[in-house]
Amino acid sequence: MGSNASIMLQQEDLQNICQQTGFTAKQVQRLYSRFKTLDKRDCGFLTREDLLCIPEVNINPLGERLIDVIMDDYGENNKINFKQFIFLLAKFRRGRVKSSTTEFNTRDSKLRFLFDMYDRNHDMKIDREELLQVLKMMVGGNIHDDQIATIADHTIGELDSDGDKSITFEEFCKTLERIDADDKMSMKFLS
Amino acid sequence: MYQNKSSIFLILILGLIIHKYYCKEQTYVHNQAKPARFHVAEFNFDHVSDVYAITLWILLGSLAKVGFHLSHRLTEKFPESCLLIILGLIVGALLYITHLAEQKAYVLNSDTFFLFLLPPIILEAGYFMPNRPFFDNLGTILLLAIVNTLFNTLCIGLTLWGFSFTSLYGGTVFDMLPCFVFAALISAVDPVAVLATFTEIHVNDMLYIVVFGESLLNDAVSVVLYRMFDSFAKIGQENLIPTDIILGCLSFFVVALGGVLIGIIFGVVACFTTKFTEHTPVLEPLIILVYAYLAYLTSEMVSVSGILAITFCGMVMKQYVSFNISKKSDATTEYVLKMLSSIMETIIFMFMGLSTVSDHHSWNTGFVLMTLLCCLVYRVIGIAIFANLANCWRLLELTRIDMLIMSYGGLRGAIAFALALILDETKIPRKKEFVTATIAVVFFTVFVQGITIGPLVKCLNVRRKQIEEPTMSAKLTNRMMDHVMTCLEEISGSGGSNSLRDKCRNLDRNYFKRWLLRETPQEKMDIKLLQTFKKINMQSAMKVHDTSKGLVPAPSSSAIHTSASGTNLRPESTFANFSQILAANLPEQTVPDLMFFENHHGAEQYRDDAQMHHFLDTNLYRARPRATIHLRSQDESAGTDGVAHNRFEKSYHHRNHIYIPSRLDKEQIHGRKAGKTSGGTGRSTASKAGSSNITHSHTHSHSPKHHTSSVSKQQNEKLRSASPVSDQKQQQQQQQSKTRSKSPSLSSDQPIRPSSPTAEMYRPSPPISIRIDNDDDNEILDGTTAAERICPWRRSSIPDAARSTSTSPVNDPSNTTQTASNTNDPNLHPGPLTSANYSGTYHKSPEYLGEYATTTKPEEHLSRPNIRDLFNNQSRIPDEKQENDMETNSDESTTQL
Repeated sequence: MGSNASIMLQQEDLQNICQQTGFTAKQVQRLYSRFKTLDKRDCGFLTREDLLCIPEVNINPLGERLIDVIMDDYGENNKINFKQFIFLLAKFRRGRVKSSTTEFNTRDSKLRFLFDMYDRNHDMKIDREELLQVLKMMVGGNIHDDQIATIADHTIGELDSDGDKSITFEEFCKTLERIDADDKMSMKFLS
Repeated sequence: MYQNKSSIFLILILGLIIHKYYCKEQTYVHNQAKPARFHVAEFNFDHVSDVYAITLWILLGSLAKVGFHLSHRLTEKFPESCLLIILGLIVGALLYITHLAEQKAYVLNSDTFFLFLLPPIILEAGYFMPNRPFFDNLGTILLLAIVNTLFNTLCIGLTLWGFSFTSLYGGTVFDMLPCFVFAALISAVDPVAVLATFTEIHVNDMLYIVVFGESLLNDAVSVVLYRMFDSFAKIGQENLIPTDIILGCLSFFVVALGGVLIGIIFGVVACFTTKFTEHTPVLEPLIILVYAYLAYLTSEMVSVSGILAITFCGMVMKQYVSFNISKKSDATTEYVLKMLSSIMETIIFMFMGLSTVSDHHSWNTGFVLMTLLCCLVYRVIGIAIFANLANCWRLLELTRIDMLIMSYGGLRGAIAFALALILDETKIPRKKEFVTATIAVVFFTVFVQGITIGPLVKCLNVRRKQIEEPTMSAKLTNRMMDHVMTCLEEISGSGGSNSLRDKCRNLDRNYFKRWLLRETPQEKMDIKLLQTFKKINMQSAMKVHDTSKGLVPAPSSSAIHTSASGTNLRPESTFANFSQILAANLPEQTVPDLMFFENHHGAEQYRDDAQMHHFLDTNLYRARPRATIHLRSQDESAGTDGVAHNRFEKSYHHRNHIYIPSRLDKEQIHGRKAGKTSGGTGRSTASKAGSSNITHSHTHSHSPKHHTSSVSKQQNEKLRSASPVSDQKQQQQQQQSKTRSKSPSLSSDQPIRPSSPTAEMYRPSPPISIRIDNDDDNEILDGTTAAERICPWRRSSIPDAARSTSTSPVNDPSNTTQTASNTNDPNLHPGPLTSANYSGTYHKSPEYLGEYATTTKPEEHLSRPNIRDLFNNQSRIPDEKQENDMETNSDESTTQL
């Protein structure tokens, strides 16, 4: 599948990718074909619009935010090419055994991704505004600001251990200790 | 220990009494001897004998359980099931020695077992089945339940049969098919035993659900295998043709799927029925129980798996019924189920002990040991094979330790025993050996494994069930992960379990919820998040409540008066108002919540119990907020994010999933006695209990403003004569304007721990009596409620004493004023006006009320006359209350008013 008219999926690229990400060749090829399907204009990269065409993403309350994260942190110029795409997805590969864990799919990097979903100004802190934004996305329009604000304050109050009214990455990780984030942030890639 | 011994004695005596009555000759001989004359009193045991015996057995079981739990040392070391079996053994031995009753009177009867004792336990298990873990692990569970049970049966059967060629059994010959029949009944893990053991050791949900799910679902397999081999044995080994075997395999699907289907059908019908029980809430629990039992009986009738049927019936019902029925019915159902299953479990274990002591035994050491060994070894092997197989697709892998606990938790129990008892001795000549071996295996698993599994779990450091309450951030992030992962799965093109779950949720929401629920949820928001928030707040409230020492019922009663009236509402109107008004009013302060209250551990001496009690009461009595979202959301969100959230709308459950301890219920009921409202039946409690903290805190935080604004807009003329009120109102408005410039978010302020004098100032202000002239009639309202209504957290979280003292007393009189006037205004919406707490306060404009007047249901009108009673009642109390309040209030606040 990946071989026909492949722009960048050469054999050595494939091996390279497999090695770096821990995907099997089949998985990479499958992802590549998926990438091609999404890339409707056949230009070798995905844009925001391409991703928004996926119904699931379109209606997902966090879909736009997710695309923001993808485009800003993983792609460039609102584009994401296949290599970036696969490095992004490599984060969510299941790292079951120690040996199958690469630098991408550690628990830390998964949490990092989650953290980045909140922290859009990259100051390594989730402040009240950022939390409010995400909360609003997740809660919908008809809860009053007050309620959301309370929830946000409550959340920050729970996590904030140093009293600076914002959540650092360490504080963020701390609450997730009891959640099996590694498991939840993993998905199965078909091969 | 002493208590325990005495209770055992008591039980023994009871047992003896029962069996004395079984000897009917004793009681009836002298009846015949006398000539027929009129008897003043007659001793007619025959008339009640059966029921009497059953009732006494139940009593015996309950007393035994009560007795065991009096001694903590005993129950810590031994599982209850073991103790019950021992008790049964003792009673059985006594009966056997004394020959007081004929054997069959107290031996476990498989008809009784399967028709009466088993269904409640399984129903309870299904009803309280944690759905999500169950379906998350469904693959593993099915693999273990079907393939592992099959594997175990075949291996055990073959091994037992194989060893009959050696001299191990001492020359006793076991045929192949009887061996397989026995293997079929002995290889299935018993749900009752597993439930009894695993609920005591608190392993993590995943482990529990895998073992328990297996034990539930393997019923289909074991029933089929048992029946198949049993009928094969009856047909005779030499007459078997391949068709029989193929049909046997086919019957597995019929039995399993048939059971599931019947269960689901009955569950759906039950949900559908409860859709219409609005006016007969008393029958709701009964409907649930009867449908479930009917599902079981029906499937037994058509010889499919009854256990599967009742499990799935319970699961389906739980999903929908609890949203239809009232909170009270829901609590009742849960309680009754727990009660039934616990007593049935008790009786089952007791009977097992009892029936062990009998003549129907034939001890064959070789066979028993071989069976035991087979059960243990093949269990371990089977789990090892299939758990590793399951790990291929499982995200969360089963570790070695998990596997060990899974194999160790493979307890056998009463089902095996009951199946062994109904073996036909003419077709299976070795029945006695089988029964004995079954009992040996059951006893071994229940005693040895049951007692040691607890320490083993501790020792191996198995992940325990997390008992901590959910944190807001965890919930939020959890949900975020779900969203992100569904998104990413879609992007990567691998539709995983997350998308499947979403599809199920869609189906559920679009079809099942629509058909089965009284109110179709239409809201478009992440409700679960909000629910967690409420839950957390509620839990904090409960915690605080628990720490407070005693409760003073008197002052809270008036609070209940006012708030109880609010419970008659249909929630649609109220919550719609709530959100509408909230949206209409600019937020001035953020909603304070219980976090602050909790943070003030140092301030314990100020946290006076009455207020706490009241605070909780106001909390608990709020109407359910779900409907808010139902009605309003469509218009509101259509423009902005209606499309975006289309798919993520979630059901708003008017059930809060918060278990309110009975203590509190009692208090509620107690309070309701004083301010009795007849309009609210079971529903009212439902709404009370399912109250939302958010609503509550909103009400409080916004109340000053709403009160003033709404009062000034609508009710001004009605308040003309109430000069104190208007004075206060002005005062309050001034206060408001002052405070308006304050920090917009109260909650972002770090809570300040008040020193004792300040806290004294924050006390609720003294009661004020206000005379309000209405157009139609004059009503004297007492403002004491005001003091009661003050939110306890407010005084601690707001550093400004003057503010709290001035605002809170005022808003309540105006609040009640409005409510009172609303009562007499036919143009106003009758529903919300019954709620003195918030609906009245949130009404911004008459048009708004008019709009909602159309949505009211007739029962709201019924509740109208009660309001006056309510207030009349209330006015009787102030004297004692005033006393209470005067003590706590400082002069400062009084003068300010």
